[in-house]
Parts: sequence; C-alpha cells; structure tokens
Amino acid sequence: MEFEEISALRRRSVAWRLLRADHAPLVLGFLGRVFVDENARSVSAADLAGRLDDELYALNERLGEGTFPKTAKAYLDDWADPRAGYLRKYYPEGSDEPYYDATPAVEKALAWLRSLTDRSFVGTESRLNTIFDLLRQMVFGAEADPEARLEELRRRRRQIDEEMARVAAGDFEPLGPTAQRERYQQFTSTARELLADFREVEANFRTLDRRLREKISTWEGSKGALLDDILGSRESIADTDQGRSFQAFYDFLLSSTRQEELAGLLEQVQALEEITEPDPRMRYVHHDWLDAGERTQATVRQLSEQLRRFLDDQVWAENRRVVEIVRSIEKHALTVRAYADLPVTTELEGSAPELGLPMERPLYAPRVRRPINSASIEAGRQEFEADALFEQFYVDRAELAAGVRRALQGRAQIALADLVRERPLTHGLAELVSYLALSDDTFCVVFDEGRVDEVDWIDEEGTERRAKLPRVTFARTEVSP
Amino acid sequence: MSAELSLAVTQVMKGVVYRDTHEKAWRYLLDLQAQVRDHVAVLGLLLVIDEAEGYAFLRSRPEQEGEEGPPRLIPRRSLSFHVSLLLALLRKRLAEFDARGGDIRLMLTRDQIVEMLAIFLPEGSNEARLVNQVDAHINKVVELGFLRRVTGQDNLFEVRRILKAFVDGQWLAGFEQGLATYAVQLSGTEEKP
Repeated sequence: MEFEEISALRRRSVAWRLLRADHAPLVLGFLGRVFVDENARSVSAADLAGRLDDELYALNERLGEGTFPKTAKAYLDDWADPRAGYLRKYYPEGSDEPYYDATPAVEKALAWLRSLTDRSFVGTESRLNTIFDLLRQMVFGAEADPEARLEELRRRRRQIDEEMARVAAGDFEPLGPTAQRERYQQFTSTARELLADFREVEANFRTLDRRLREKISTWEGSKGALLDDILGSRESIADTDQGRSFQAFYDFLLSSTRQEELAGLLEQVQALEEITEPDPRMRYVHHDWLDAGERTQATVRQLSEQLRRFLDDQVWAENRRVVEIVRSIEKHALTVRAYADLPVTTELEGSAPELGLPMERPLYAPRVRRPINSASIEAGRQEFEADALFEQFYVDRAELAAGVRRALQGRAQIALADLVRERPLTHGLAELVSYLALSDDTFCVVFDEGRVDEVDWIDEEGTERRAKLPRVTFARTEVSP
Repeated sequence: MSAELSLAVTQVMKGVVYRDTHEKAWRYLLDLQAQVRDHVAVLGLLLVIDEAEGYAFLRSRPEQEGEEGPPRLIPRRSLSFHVSLLLALLRKRLAEFDARGGDIRLMLTRDQIVEMLAIFLPEGSNEARLVNQVDAHINKVVELGFLRRVTGQDNLFEVRRILKAFVDGQWLAGFEQGLATYAVQLSGTEEKP
C-alpha cells in the first residue's frame, strides 16, 4: 500500500475513524456485545437505548460521574449520524419506532482488535492443508478435458486404496492433540469471520442497489437500452459475483442433508476430549449462519422488488419529469419570494367522497337543570370512618403563589421547570396543574407552545415521574410608579 | 351483499385504505376488486389500487365528452401557494429518496421541512414567525393526508407515498404554468428562455 492510499483510508474509512474515536471502547464494547456476540441484526431504538442506559450507568458508577455525560439516546443519535456511520438506523414497514443494526465498520474494527490479542499458538499446518485443498479444487474443477479428470480421479482412488490397506493392517495414526486444537482454532475463526462477513455482504448489496439507482436516475438514453444495460450486464443484483456467491452459500446451507451433517459434526467436534475449552457458541453456529443468511436474503429480495418498482415504466418516466418540473417551480418561486400573498393557487382532488347526511346529526336536546336542594343539612349522628375525607390532599394555591413571588424577588422571570427544581413538587401532578392556573397581581404566567420543558418529581410510591409541557414562565409584572 | 364487500366499499369511501393500517379492508378490496369497481362506478367513482405501494382510494371518473355525468362526490380542494409549493418540494424529496437507496419510508423532521421551505418564504419575517407559518402549512398537508405525524416522536413526519398518486407530473405542470405566468406578469417583461 502506498502512502496516498493509506492516508485516504485514514480519512475515509469508518472503521478507522471508529478506532480513533474518544469513545471507541464504549462504542465497540457495547455494539460488539449487542450486535456481534448476540448475532442481532435488528434492535429497536427503545431496547437499544435501555441497554445502553444500563451500560452508561454502570460505567459512570465505576469511572466517576460525568465520564459519559450524554444520554443513551444522544449517543445512539451520534453513532447513527452519517458522519459517524457506526449504526444503520431505519424504519421497518409498519413500525413508527426506528430500528438499528451495526454497520460492517464495527465488525471490521472488532476483528482488528481481536487480532491484537496474543494467541497461545498459531497453527500453520492445518492452513497449509486448506491451501492445498483449495488449489486442488480449482485445478481439478477448471479441468475441461475428461481424460485429465479421469486421471485425477484414478490417482485419488489409488491413494484411498493404499490408505484402506494400511488401516486394515492396523497401521494408522489418529490426529494428534495439537493437530486437533489447531484445526479447531482455524474452524472457530473462520466460522466467526463468516458470520461477520454477512454484514458486509448486506452492505455490498445496498451499495450495488444505490449504484444502480443512480445509473437509472441519470440515464440519458432510451428505456430499452437501459434495461439491456442493466439486465444484460452482470450488474443486476443477483448476477453479481456477490449475488452468486451468496446464493450458492445459501442454497448449500439450506439443504436438509447438509444441515443434519453439519449439526452432527459440530456436536462431535465440541465433545472431543482434546478440545479443552470448546467455544460454546460454535455448537449452534450453523443456526447463527442461517439467521444471518435469511436476513441478508430478505434484504436482497426487498431490494430487487423495489428496484423493479423503480424501473417500472411509468414510475421511471414520472420521477424524472417530476424532478425537472419541480426545479423549474423552485426557480420561479425564488423570483417571487418577496410577495407574501401570491394569488397562485392549485386545486387537488380529495382522496374520498364527502357525504353530508343531515339526518346523521344529533337532534337538539335541551339541557335539564337539576335543582339543588341544600336547605336542610343536619349534622350526622352516626359514627363512621371519616378517613377517606382526610386522605385527599389539598394544594394550597396561595402558598404556590407566594413561592413564585419569593422566587421573583431576585429576578424578573423564572421558568416553571426551574422553579420546580428549586421547590420540588410534593403533591405531584395536581400541584403542577395548579401552577398553570395561578393568577396574581404581581406576576403573569406566559405559555410558549413552541418549546417543550420537562418537569420531574417523585411520587408517594417513590417512583420518578416526568411530565412534558409547553414552556411556562412566570414573569414579574412591572409595577407602575 | 356480503359483509366483506360492505367493509371494503365503506372503508374506501371513508378514505385511503393502506395495506399496513387497514389489513382486513385491504385484503377484501383485493379479493373483491371487480365487485367494488362495479359498485362505486354507479356513483361515478373509480377505484385506484396500487398493490406495489400498498394503498387504494377512489377518484372521480373523468367526464366523458358531450355526456353529463352524475354530480361530483369527491370535493376538489383549493390550496394556497405555499401549501402547493410544499407539496411539490415533498414530491421531489420522495423522487430523490427513491433514487438514492432501497429504503421505503421517507422520514423528515420538522426542522428539515422548515429548512426546505424557508428559502421560498418572504424575507424579513422573524424566525419564530417563519416557523409558525411553516407549521401551519405542515398541518394543512397532514390534514390532506400526505404527511403523517410519527407516533411517539416529536416533530417527526413520514411522507406518505400516496403523495405520488396525487402530486403527479400533470398537477405539477399546471402549478408550474400558473406560477410562470404570474412571475412574468410581476417582472413585466417577457420571460427569457
């Protein structure tokens, strides 16, 4: 790698940026646990914020208050911001709550971190074997001459025959402990890498989709030529190298005989005596692969479907026309922006018929006034439990008003939220509402609908409550001289 | 008449039927499409179903030439200049959004909408007044059903995809023409191409 290439990577690579971030241990530790260790591909904003909240609380407890000063939600927003790009935020169909998934950058940064930890031994022999296998697959697989293929098959049969003869004579050596551990090490790392790669595969599909859409939007030729170009080339999503490889993997994994074989092998390997510390996750790693694969498959399906819709004759032509016309509208609108009341109006057809049914309206019903007879109230003679009457609390408005006046002695105005911080609510919501209705000669109550304040208090049960309300300010009325 | 047909027809008479919010009515509408079409045709209405986008609604049947149709049941709404402009800008956003990636739902915050419209509003009005104006326009568009407040999140709106069915090339071209004519009148000169 050249200097320029590396410095460009340093500037642009999200993974590198993540590693350099001040909060990298927090981001990687948290996202790694939620998305990578648990193999989650989609976590709702509320869940994720809740877990991060716990994490931040624990960290602040341990490292001192203020180590991570922001709220969980603020951190998530930061991380999902395109400038950061650690999280992908999206709204699934039918949900008003956003969902998050980690980006491939997180996987890459984590993989690099993992490679930093020292390994007790580095297996080399098993990997050399793997390389030989790959080479044989390629050379043999690419061979078109039947005679050569037969020759190779005969060679292998001879080998097998020789091996069978040796085993029959009791002359064989089982795989030694070192060789077993080495292979297990290689197996776990490949299995993890495979799982991590799914995120990148999915991201690749999205990039492909974006590139196609860009091409479609800026296409200058005819529609037919565009279709030829997209469908004829290896560019349509399923026909790319990425698409083919993924499809082959998925088909391979989906076959039930493969599933059974995998499950059996994994069980046996995990039970091997020589593997002293089997990775518990590997036992069902094929399920994780399936989950992740299905998710990627769903993405591909969704992308292809939308792309087809986007390419649809009318939509395609309409979208381009729309963008052109709106540009011209914008241009004109700018030239007339100084005029407040433009007589230019439009008409738009409603989306449903309007029916006015006079008989559906309720008839006039005169209100009956109930006479109140309060002439004769006699003192009760019966003894009864009067506790219920006293248990109700009473909010003393005069006292609240006095509190406001006191607060306004030192300043011209005070926001309700600030006031409540100084004088905590003792009667909860009822007291808060009373504040809104205060009227006094020395101050006035100003409502600002445009801003929202939050007021906290602790109720009788000791639960923390929070109310959102328009900003309320108490302002001293100027005393005229 | 079956209860299914009854539900399908009344629901679509009430307003737009969405696949995700009116599951039952949506299913019946698809199954009984032909019957629903016959039914509303009597009233001079046309059923429009977009299966890919997942919505259905009624339209007035275009008037045949030389033939007097029944009176219109679907009202035409008159929109002010700025509401029309907001619709046009939202439509463009949607087109650009589709051109960019595979997400389906376009979400905009109130701030983004304010920013989008602000440069077309008269100068000199203070910030707070400007935001109030835009809020009023947004409310109108919400009322028209093209923006939807996202529940549980303040100041976040979803641009409903049905906008595409109403704010189409034809409508936009009409708006553009009206605006261009007016702009020429204002400047008092012929518009240069």
